[in-house]
Amino acid sequence: MSVLLDKARQRQTRITGAVLIALGVLIAVFFAPDAAGSATFRLSRPNDVWPVPNLVVPGGAFIYVVSALLVFLGARQFARGAARWSSLSLGVGLAIAVAAFLVWATVGKSFSLSGMLQASLVRAVPIALGGLAGVLSERVAVVNIGIEGMLLAGAFTGALVGSLAGGVAGLLAAVAVGGVFGFVLAALVVTYRMDQIIAGVFINLFVLGLTSYISSQVFQEYRALNNAPVFRAIEIPFLSDIPVIGPVFFNQNLFVYGAFILAGLATYYLFHTRLGLRARAVGEHPRAADTLGINVYRTRFVNVTVAGMVAGFGGAWFTLGSVGRFDEGMTGGRGFIGLAAMIFGRWHPVGALLAALVFGFADSLQQKLALLRTPIPSEFLAMAPYIATIIVVAGVVGRARAPAADGKPYVKE
Amino acid sequence: MKAIRSNRVFSAIAVATALVVGGPAFAFTACQVTDTGGIDDNSFNQTAWKGVQDAIEDFGIEGRFLESTAETDYEANINSLIDGACDIIVTVGFLLGDATRDAALANPDQPFSIVDFAYDPEIPNVLGQVYATDQAAFLAGYLAAGMTETKIVGTFGGINIPPVTIFMDGFVKGVEHWNAAKDDAVEVLGWNLEDREGLFTNNFDNLDDGRAFAQNLYDEGADIVLPVAGPVGLGSATLADELGIDQLKIIGVDADLYFTDTERQHVYLTSITKRMDATVRAVIEATMKGEFEGGLLVGTLENGGVGLAPFHDMDGLVPDDLKAELEALRVGIIDGSISVSD
Repeated sequence: MSVLLDKARQRQTRITGAVLIALGVLIAVFFAPDAAGSATFRLSRPNDVWPVPNLVVPGGAFIYVVSALLVFLGARQFARGAARWSSLSLGVGLAIAVAAFLVWATVGKSFSLSGMLQASLVRAVPIALGGLAGVLSERVAVVNIGIEGMLLAGAFTGALVGSLAGGVAGLLAAVAVGGVFGFVLAALVVTYRMDQIIAGVFINLFVLGLTSYISSQVFQEYRALNNAPVFRAIEIPFLSDIPVIGPVFFNQNLFVYGAFILAGLATYYLFHTRLGLRARAVGEHPRAADTLGINVYRTRFVNVTVAGMVAGFGGAWFTLGSVGRFDEGMTGGRGFIGLAAMIFGRWHPVGALLAALVFGFADSLQQKLALLRTPIPSEFLAMAPYIATIIVVAGVVGRARAPAADGKPYVKE
Repeated sequence: MKAIRSNRVFSAIAVATALVVGGPAFAFTACQVTDTGGIDDNSFNQTAWKGVQDAIEDFGIEGRFLESTAETDYEANINSLIDGACDIIVTVGFLLGDATRDAALANPDQPFSIVDFAYDPEIPNVLGQVYATDQAAFLAGYLAAGMTETKIVGTFGGINIPPVTIFMDGFVKGVEHWNAAKDDAVEVLGWNLEDREGLFTNNFDNLDDGRAFAQNLYDEGADIVLPVAGPVGLGSATLADELGIDQLKIIGVDADLYFTDTERQHVYLTSITKRMDATVRAVIEATMKGEFEGGLLVGTLENGGVGLAPFHDMDGLVPDDLKAELEALRVGIIDGSISVSD
């Protein structure tokens, strides 16, 4: 058994090594010839307290260094079969390969690197919160396809209540409505043992139909109902003045901070509290949990409702955290990408957050590349976030395991 | 596609909810199928629907619409109207071109009219409504070049299709015209005339894309942005509202957004209007009189089908010299002495 495992692992390591070497060679062959000149990355914005000089990278030299590094990493993997470092090598390798690509695309031009990083965080918010909602409900074995609908419901409620009673009220209402849909999902799948996929799709359809109807029939007539205030960025004193890191991490609106705080809280709850342990037990082996006196039904109800509230908060980002008005179908499938982030993050809150950040980074990278006029069609650039995710997941994350009882209804005997 | 088109699944329910139930029998019924983005998008679909509403008010006809929430809805929506006793079916959007052609060929007695599509060869029962939006966008580009303080202006589109890029073409040419006339070097980010590539959201739904894309252009120095993406541009307006108009101004498209996006009207420098309401109303009127004919109706600066909206609140910011030059350009484009296509 262990010999077989070792062999499989060794083969995987060899493949990783070969991929890294190939990447290094490709970069040297294709990128280096066009990279005469230097790439300029702007690190500070006009209003920064401590302006930082631009980061100027000599194109050719940088690409050759990256290429050599990749070949070295690959050769090391290949020769020594260092399985322990396989994921790390691939991760580092991909990161520097992306950097080389960026330098190649930017040679002779410039763009705002801090702006791009800040946008990455902003764009990751709804995906991270959607993913977090997924983690919370799937950890108690309830598959939550309805996240997209919960996001949309949060966005709609945020706009409506926010217009009438102000941003804070809108935010609370969005969280509450998200919770209601979480409760409805729990009732359908726990109490009535409806198929979990169908229950989730039902929520998506219901919310889309209802909000589209009200948006086109009511918001059209009464425009004041769809004009919510937007939460502005909150500068954290001192920290926001740090060059590069400051504007990226410490000058964002409360949804960005909220996503980070919630990911931390969820991690603490699931892995460091008694309640979290019980919740995970319900997700892995509900019968055993029940035998030990854990109320399986109640645990699922509570967790799925909280998941709905998280999704409602994420939904409010679209209206109260971004554009201040609701429009039909404005969540644009981010709930489903959130589910993908959950899987890529291995059903771990921090994992889901990191996966969402990869999506956000790829998304803002694609926007910059479109401005840099790389000879790559925009449709291909638009695919970049998804291709990046597939590579990262397949290579770095490896096989992920869902909670054992995921998707299965529990019948108490 | 950038975003997963999740809403495809939802088409059936949206059709059911969006169908405006008809009341008593009317002598004439005009039906409309929208593109994605919703009837209330403050721009494209809404402007075309206003043409039907105007006709309802002026001629006492009945009007109905079906919303497409996904590209898979087009055919189903058109077909469901064919049985619905429509005297004319107006389909709104370039992307409905194939579905409209198929339906028109299958139902040769049913008059159709499509916004933003010209068929070659012409189909006898389809009247295409197209717009020389590049004429108006040319003026907007010249205006933006004259107004920018950073010497950088930006644009982004919804999808890389002709009715979208024609705005961007005209805009870039207008800026180039300014550069040539004033020996200036104003740069346009987001659209490249030669390789026809640029910045696209690849959807007409995600308003937060509008904000993110405008932020991207602003970070690269643009202080005037032209979003050509229907409701997505409303997200850009929110950013301009937050930053302040001295930092970022927006140029609207399709309708005069000063009037349709009243909450943030102060951020619009102007709008490139595409009077789909006027042409849709004209088509309905002609059909009522029995004068419907297949072919092509082209909206231009000359016939008022396209135009540059007033500057409204920003009127005081635009120098009088620039206004005079814009008027001269407008006259020149109409009489043909200035070409917007080369």
